[in-house]
Amino acid sequence: MPALAPGRWVAVALFGIVALVPAGVRDAYLLDSVILILLWGALSAAWNVAGGYAGQVSLGHAAFFGIGAYSAALMTARFQQSPWLGLMLGVALSIVAGGVIGYLSNLSTIAFSQVLLIVASRWRGFTAGSEGIPVPFRPGFWTLGLGHVAWVYLALGVAVLYYGVAIWLETSRVGYQLAGVREDEDAAEALGIASRRLKVYAVTLSAAMTSVVGTLWAQYVGFVDPFYVFSIDLSVRFALNTIIGGIGTGLGPFLGSLLITSLETYLRATFSGMKTGFAGIYLVIYGTALILVVRFVPEGLTGLAARLRVRSSRAHA
Amino acid sequence: MLTLERVTKRFGGLTAVRDVSLEVREGDLLGIIGPNGAGKTTLFNVISGYYRPDAGRVLLAGRDVGGEPPHVICRLGLTRTFQIVKPFGNLSVLDNVMIGALTHLPRVAAARDEARRVIDTCGLGPYAAARARALPVGLRKRLEVARALATRPRLLLLDEVMAGLNPTELGGIVALIRRLHAEGLTLIVIEHIMAAMMRLARRIVVLHHGETIAEGRPDEITRDPRVIDAYLGEEFVLAEA
Repeated sequence: MPALAPGRWVAVALFGIVALVPAGVRDAYLLDSVILILLWGALSAAWNVAGGYAGQVSLGHAAFFGIGAYSAALMTARFQQSPWLGLMLGVALSIVAGGVIGYLSNLSTIAFSQVLLIVASRWRGFTAGSEGIPVPFRPGFWTLGLGHVAWVYLALGVAVLYYGVAIWLETSRVGYQLAGVREDEDAAEALGIASRRLKVYAVTLSAAMTSVVGTLWAQYVGFVDPFYVFSIDLSVRFALNTIIGGIGTGLGPFLGSLLITSLETYLRATFSGMKTGFAGIYLVIYGTALILVVRFVPEGLTGLAARLRVRSSRAHA
Repeated sequence: MLTLERVTKRFGGLTAVRDVSLEVREGDLLGIIGPNGAGKTTLFNVISGYYRPDAGRVLLAGRDVGGEPPHVICRLGLTRTFQIVKPFGNLSVLDNVMIGALTHLPRVAAARDEARRVIDTCGLGPYAAARARALPVGLRKRLEVARALATRPRLLLLDEVMAGLNPTELGGIVALIRRLHAEGLTLIVIEHIMAAMMRLARRIVVLHHGETIAEGRPDEITRDPRVIDAYLGEEFVLAEA
């Protein structure tokens, strides 16, 4: 067996620490941050399957997030069924939508998310329109009415699973073939790879993964607002977390989510107490941080780590 | 092995390939020459599945493959290189070639071993770990050949793998093509460098304005008045004499 790559050790350490957090921490605010970091990380990892590994950059992945969120919210609020059924429905719908979009063009995800936004915000009789849907809280696993500690482990489970998908894409036959398609579709075809089909599969997988976390997010937060779940801001955020962390890497989306989510939480908490004029200042700082990363570390945090490692090994040599 | 029957490909009003018929037998080394825009690469694109022929048939081992996508044709034993090389730029040379080998070897470890062998055959051994993007053009042309070979083709189409090479690189790739041919691979080669083509090919087809104007042994081709007129020019004949 080859030794574990450095990035894998970091992942083992990070996920291991998270697994131990609930043993020592009872602070709901901190646990909430951990859950959100994991969910955002999983969402970015899902985006990374299409945007990173398949090279199909999408700025409309909120469509699949919203499908997952609405499927579960409607299932529980309207039909009094388990959100797990909603999760499965969301996955099924996202597979169909992702397949069609993957086949057409990944640019059409933006249009698709906006169409869904209009439907969700206007179909008042069914979706409650722009008021949104409060998700009823009924304690129990089957109803996803869980405490903070259980949520940490549920979100951690999904995050580890999604990290595993990334590792699979880096080491398996399908993963290598997908890398070929990403680099040059025509050349991949000449080598016997069904480029288009593989791309559609990747986008579909990414859509289904996004939908699952959309469901969990809605159940955790307890409210689904069409203007949030289908927004382009949200789609952009999946992409930015991944780009800042390191696009096309397993750990990148989680590192990006860790950095951005904690930065945002911290800035919001720090500046929210000030005069109203400062209310939005966290956005300015957030934006500045983004520009700095893209300008000076375009390959993301994982790339920066690799660069430093090379430098230090040269220094020791 | 490969038979073209009156293959025609049009782009709007332009007929890039018109009524081209040819026969490639097992063990052939066929050269295709012609001036720029003669339809050589278009013909390759039709044979390898990138274009659907507007008329005529492409028979590979007796099966009509006209309109089949390239990946299906590759799996039937025919693949090609690209005139403008298309390396997987961000991947290592080894990974590039391994992706070719994965087509017939589903296990990654087995494909990696096979890729190492092919890389050594093509003289790319020292560059296995290098990023494909970082290679100079001569080595990128070799990488194109190595990647195609890793799919274990029975018929390989080489599109100007010698263009832009210095004399040393040229000698190396000619030797490689000779060796592959000697080992039983059937090849169709498009080339502009006449001297290399004369030494390499057993049989040459000359295309001009999308049509076959001559076909025969290299020495016959160089004496053909239509070929001299359309492509080689008087000076070439004088120089050869």
